Order: sequence, then structure tokens, then C-alpha cells
Amino acid sequence: MAKKLPKRTVVVVGGGLCAGLVSRQLTANGIDVLVLERGGDHANGAEAKLPNQRDELRWDRRQGLVQNWQRETYTLRHSRAEQSLPVRWMEAFLPGEGVGGAANHWNGVTWRWAEYDPTLRTRYESRYGKAAIPADTPLQDWGTTYGELEPYHDLFEKLFGLSGKAGNIKGAIQRGGNPFEAPRRDEYPQKPLEITEAGSMFKNATEALGLRPFPQPAANSSGYYRNPDGQQLGQCQYCGHCERFICEAHAKGTPDALLYPLLRTRPGFEIRTHAHVLHVDYDRRAKRANGVRYLDLKSGQEYEQPADIVVLAAFTLTNTRLLLLAGIGEGYDPVMRRGVVGKNFCYQTNSGVSVFFKDRWINPFLAAGSTGTVIDEFNNDNFDHSAQPFLGGASISASVTNGRPIRTQRTPPGTPRWGTAWKKARADWYAHSFGVGAQGSCYPHRENFLDLDPEYTDTYGLPLLRLTFDFRENEVRMSDWVTRKVGEICKAMAPDFMSPIAGCSAPFDTRDYQSTHVTGGTIMGAEPRLSVVSPHLQHWDANNLFVVGASVYPHNSGYNPTGPLAALALRLGDDLVRYVERPRML
Amino acid sequence: MSRVLNDGRHKMAVDQKQARARRIFLIQAASLTGAGSLVSAVVPAEPTAATAAPIPEPDTTSPLPYQSLSPDEATFIEALVNVMCPADEYSPSGIDCGLATYIDRQLAGPYGKGDGRYQRGPFRSGKPQLGLQLPLTPEQFCKAGIAAVNALCIREHGIPFDRLTPSAADALLQAIEGDHVQDDGLSLALWFNEVLYPLFIEACFADPMYGGNRRAVFWKMIGYPGLPATYTLDMVRYRGTPYPGARDPKSIADFT
Repeated sequence: MAKKLPKRTVVVVGGGLCAGLVSRQLTANGIDVLVLERGGDHANGAEAKLPNQRDELRWDRRQGLVQNWQRETYTLRHSRAEQSLPVRWMEAFLPGEGVGGAANHWNGVTWRWAEYDPTLRTRYESRYGKAAIPADTPLQDWGTTYGELEPYHDLFEKLFGLSGKAGNIKGAIQRGGNPFEAPRRDEYPQKPLEITEAGSMFKNATEALGLRPFPQPAANSSGYYRNPDGQQLGQCQYCGHCERFICEAHAKGTPDALLYPLLRTRPGFEIRTHAHVLHVDYDRRAKRANGVRYLDLKSGQEYEQPADIVVLAAFTLTNTRLLLLAGIGEGYDPVMRRGVVGKNFCYQTNSGVSVFFKDRWINPFLAAGSTGTVIDEFNNDNFDHSAQPFLGGASISASVTNGRPIRTQRTPPGTPRWGTAWKKARADWYAHSFGVGAQGSCYPHRENFLDLDPEYTDTYGLPLLRLTFDFRENEVRMSDWVTRKVGEICKAMAPDFMSPIAGCSAPFDTRDYQSTHVTGGTIMGAEPRLSVVSPHLQHWDANNLFVVGASVYPHNSGYNPTGPLAALALRLGDDLVRYVERPRML
Repeated sequence: MSRVLNDGRHKMAVDQKQARARRIFLIQAASLTGAGSLVSAVVPAEPTAATAAPIPEPDTTSPLPYQSLSPDEATFIEALVNVMCPADEYSPSGIDCGLATYIDRQLAGPYGKGDGRYQRGPFRSGKPQLGLQLPLTPEQFCKAGIAAVNALCIREHGIPFDRLTPSAADALLQAIEGDHVQDDGLSLALWFNEVLYPLFIEACFADPMYGGNRRAVFWKMIGYPGLPATYTLDMVRYRGTPYPGARDPKSIADFT
């Protein structure tokens, strides 16, 4: 039997980035917050200390910081016609476990998306006409604007001590920054990271082609930094153990470094670790979330935790799963074309070309998670699509983030996979090669969605979430076009060898890491019929239930998703302060 | 006590191997199967995989006992790592680099037991992009594949895998890798590409404390400096130039 606990004002599911940001705003106003995190605290573990922090096998290959697939995974099918199967070991994306969530082991790349991203449907329709968006592409505006989020972007960048170069300060284009950047009120809090050798080569080549490269905005701290809350960051060591690792140098902007230590000093804040939320208690008649049920993984005891307000801030996919398990809102049905929960599941359309230079020392191990040099000319709608058979685009970069030797296996085309010739190629090219990557947008498709698997369950007997997903025609065409641009840039660098120029293609392969940027499923919007949550992230079917994370994005852009997600979470914190004062539909 | 037993077992294995090597010559000379055979390069004059070329840098430390592999399985894995990593100007043989030890340790440990893998049924085969769908743990799958390949070699040539010449063993592995070898019981291509090959790569490039990559030989080979990797100043100083620390890589063990 579940033990019933005393009621709390706000209970937050998940102890990651969004939960930390929402809690910061709430506790600053004296509001009582309880965060429930299924994993433990990594701060004093081997993962956060030298020398074992630098263990590629343990943290990277064996996924020491990632969701335990034995307990809970996802099932997948590429189309509705197929039978889904459980992904028994997921490589494609890496949800976190433990304080900080996936943001404790992220690389730190932090974009503001394009000014037009929150109004993307309006943008495309006004530029190319209503017929430009295919009927099977349910793009929708977010119901909010970049202008409304800008103050929160600014706050987040200062809290996390971002390193970068502004491209657009209050409408004035800045030399050396991204000319396509949405207007910002200030320069980045810290100067950019040091450029890599690969970055310099990419910069020279793209400038010669008339493009405008700039340093990738980074939550890796280029110097010593003290944020507005008095929390501090050390200087980045460029150790090449960033994504999939905890930063032992305290130099990566993460919730476990910058938010939770502060929150733990604030009255009214509590985080319970090893608390795995199983269920949201929902009163359908009253249209209220009464609280959550969770399992204490240390004792096996189940608890009922009532609350005035429930915030879902778990990993993207978990937010959707919890709503489906509790039957809150109508599940998306692609046949009847109704329902919203699970709709607009998107990913990231990535591709890349490897380049090899026998006389250049790339030294890939001299790198940080976000050491990248980028161009934005071919991203999203930064170029004219009127003659293109697709929508969207990609940021293109030379992002050397590490030289970890198990993962860094670049050899020229035609190299055998073992034997002396293989060893020779590894010896010849490890320090002399890198990749130029395209991180592409992924727009929603009517047939890409999430629902509960009819057969497979997690270790607690609850249905797994089922992904029905593949790269559809629009994304494949876009990637083909963008990857040819990557090829042109690579050729301009005059490498000794290049890998074949091939865009992202179906089928989606769970065996290859692509990015952890899965989005959608609980999308935001101005119309209840077309969205799960309002523009204030309030559930249309329970006004004391809020959902935050990349699950609210109606589409995924050609950028990493963290920036807008953090801005939305900070704004939600402020909205919740107003809601606590006077509960209502915001 | 166990140490003595293990050393004894190892000595026995070595003696058996030498005796077997002599037998192989005779068997192979007598049983060349010729054209049409999958493994067509069985040349008796060539040394076998398990008794490959002399080691350029002999490692004086005594080999570690196996934890998961049976003597036959160990012989197979030793032959395999020596084919995939022959002693040459880049490294000693696979065995002497600790690659077989690494694979054995991983099979015996949490990885081999399927730690972190979703293992609930029902089990059905599916598209390769959805990943392995077997009820077997990686350790069980690895061993099932070893048995299947040995059975195949015996069927085709009358000798197990480890007695093939290195070039014949290499050709067989390439055929398996490319999914040109069928087995009734399991997919040898998946066995090689999803289990054996990743273990081989890890054995070469993981931190030496796991038993492979002995004396960081592969890190040295490619120029990966290892630990402590605190490069705030080096990031600028060695941008675009050779990194001196790459000549003498340091392991986790060097800082413990």
C-alpha cells in the first residue's frame, strides 16, 4: 500500500535542468517546492573526481550516467505498418539519471533559436504561401514569441556563464558573431572558448567562400565566473570529457553545479533522490492533478505525494509517457487525426563529412564539449526555400569535442577494419582528421508520434513508450542538400582524403549516437485542439498541471534545444508564482 | 592456492598449444580442401594464428588467468585477437597487448551479464537498426558464436578456428563481417559486428586498467596522451603542432 504524505505546494517530477530553473524562481519567492528525482546525486562519485572521471569505457561506452535500459527503455517501429520492438540498448540518445538529469552530462552547446522559430508556420506561410507547408507536416506556432522569451534567455545565459560572441545586439549586427542571431540585449557573459585547429581551418575556408563563421555558444566556462546567484564556475580544462561525463573541474554550466547547491540552501526547497515517479493522480471530473505516486528505490516503499501544483519536468519522453499513463488529455491518433498527446515527435537530422590532412595537427583531444566553429547560412529559413523541394536546414560546424580513443575511429575510405593496415591508418590519421557536421532541423510529420506500447512493459509493469519514427522525405531532401554544402566547404579546405558526401537517410538507427535532442509529444500552442499545454505550459485539461522541457516544442530546429527550453522553464517559474497567488488558467 | 592452479592451467594450455601447432601442420598438409571452400587459403607452411610471429616488445609480466572463457574459448579468442592484431611495427600481438584478457574480463563482468540491457520478453527478430533482440546475454551470445564458428571450421576443414592460418582466419572473419557466412542457429554477422568487433576496439583503446591496451600501446600508436588531460594552456600552446605528451600516455592507474 502506498503511504500518503503531507501535501506540498509544488511537486516537480524530475531533478534536471528545467526543474532546477523552475525551483529557482519559485523558492526566490518563498514558495515550497519538492523535487522528485529517480537517480542519485553524482557530486561525490567517481564520475565527478579525477582520475576515474576520465574513464571512457565506464561513462561513455557503458553509459554510466544514462537511464538504465534494463528498467525502462522505448519501443520503436519505423512506421505504423511494422511491429514495434524494444530497443534493448539505446545508443541514439542518452536520457540522464540522477541530479542534473541529461544536463549533467551534456556538451553545453546553448543556442537562442531564430527569432522566427516560435512563429515558424506564420513565417513559412507569409514567405512562401499557404501551400508551402505540406499537409503531412503539422508545423504550428508556439503561441509565444521570441520577444517574450528574450529576458529569460538573458537570465539563463548569465546564470550559466555562457561563453560566446554576440552576433546581434539590439538589432545591430556584430562582427565575428552569428549574423542570423535573434537580437539580444547584451554580449555573452564570457568571451568565447579558444578555437581549435579544426575550427581555424573551417573559419578560413568558410570566410573564403563568403560565409560568416562564428564561435559556437558554450556553457563551458572560458574563464573563472561568478553568476548573479553567487555560484561559481572554474575555467574549462579542454579535457575532452564533457558530453557523457560530469565536469570534475566545475567548469561546465550544469544544474548540479549551479542550481541545486543553491536551492538546497533555500528554505522550502527539498529534493528527494531515488524517488521514481510512477503515476500522476488525476481527477478527471474536477480537472485537477492531485499529486503523484512514487517509488522510493532505496526501500521499495510506494508513496502518494499530494500537491497543489504538479510540474512535469522529466526527460522529454517521460513527460509524454506520464500523461499517457494517467490518461490526461487525448492521445494522438494519426488515423483519425485527432488527439494531441504524443503528437509532433521530432528528432535531429544530422550528417557529416570526415576530412583528413596529413600535414595538419588536429590534436582532437584538445577540446571542450562546445568547441565548435559554425556557420548559420544554411539553417532553417535563413536562406530562400522557394526553389527547394524541402523546408528547414542545418547549422554546419567543425565541432571537435573530444579525441577519446574508443569513439574517435576516423580512417580514410577503404581502410580495413582490423590488421596492420588498419593500425597504420589509425596511427596516421587519429591526430590529423576531423569531421564537419550538419545539425539539421526535424519538422513534425503526421506519422512520427509517441504512444504506449501495447505489449512491452518496464520493470514496474507499466507500458513502455512506443516511438513511431523515421526520417521522412522532407528531412532526407533537406539533409541531402545541406550535406552537399558541407562537401563544398570540405573541398575548399583541400584535404588529402574526404569521406563520401551522404546526407541523413532512413531508417533511423538506434545503434548510432546522433544526439539527445528528441522533442515534442506534449506540444504547446494557443489552441487546445492542437496542443497539450498552453503558451504558459499549463495543461488544457488540468490548470494545476504544468509541463516543461523539449517535449513542448512543436518542431525541432537546426540548433541544440537547451536555450529555449531553459528560457521557457525560467518563465514558467515566474508564471507559477502568479498562479500560486491566484490559481486560474493563465 | 588458486594462483598455483591457474598458473598450472596456463602452462598446460601453452603446452597443448605447442603440441597442437605441430599436429596442425600435419593435419593441414593432409587435408587441403582446395577451391570452393570458404576458407581457401589454408597454407601449411604459414604459422597458425595462435602461434603467430615473434613479438617485437616481449611483455615480461605473466598473463592473467581467464575468468569467463573455457580453455577452448580462450584459444579461439586468442587466435582471433592475434589475427585482428598481428605483431607488427605498431604493436605486439593481440594476446600480448592484453586483448584476450580484456574480452574475457568484460564477458565475466556486468557487460557480459547483460547489465543495463532491457531483457524482458517476448523476443522476436527485427530490423538490425533496432539493435540485438536476443534473449542471450552478451557473454552467452559471444560463446554461442565461438561454438558456431568452430563447428563451421570443423565442418569445412576438419580443424577449429584457432588452427587456421592467419590469412585463412582473416578471410573467414571478413566473410562473417560481411554477412556471407550463414549459420542455422544465429547470425554470425551480428555476433561479430555487434559484440566481438566492439569488444576488440575497446580492448585496444580503453584505459589499460581494464586489461587490454597493455602499457597504453594503442594510445601511443595513435598519439592519445591519456590523463590527466588538463589542457587550459596546452589548448593554445599546441594548437596545430605535435603534442609532446602523446609519446608517453598516462592511464588512470598512473594517478591512483
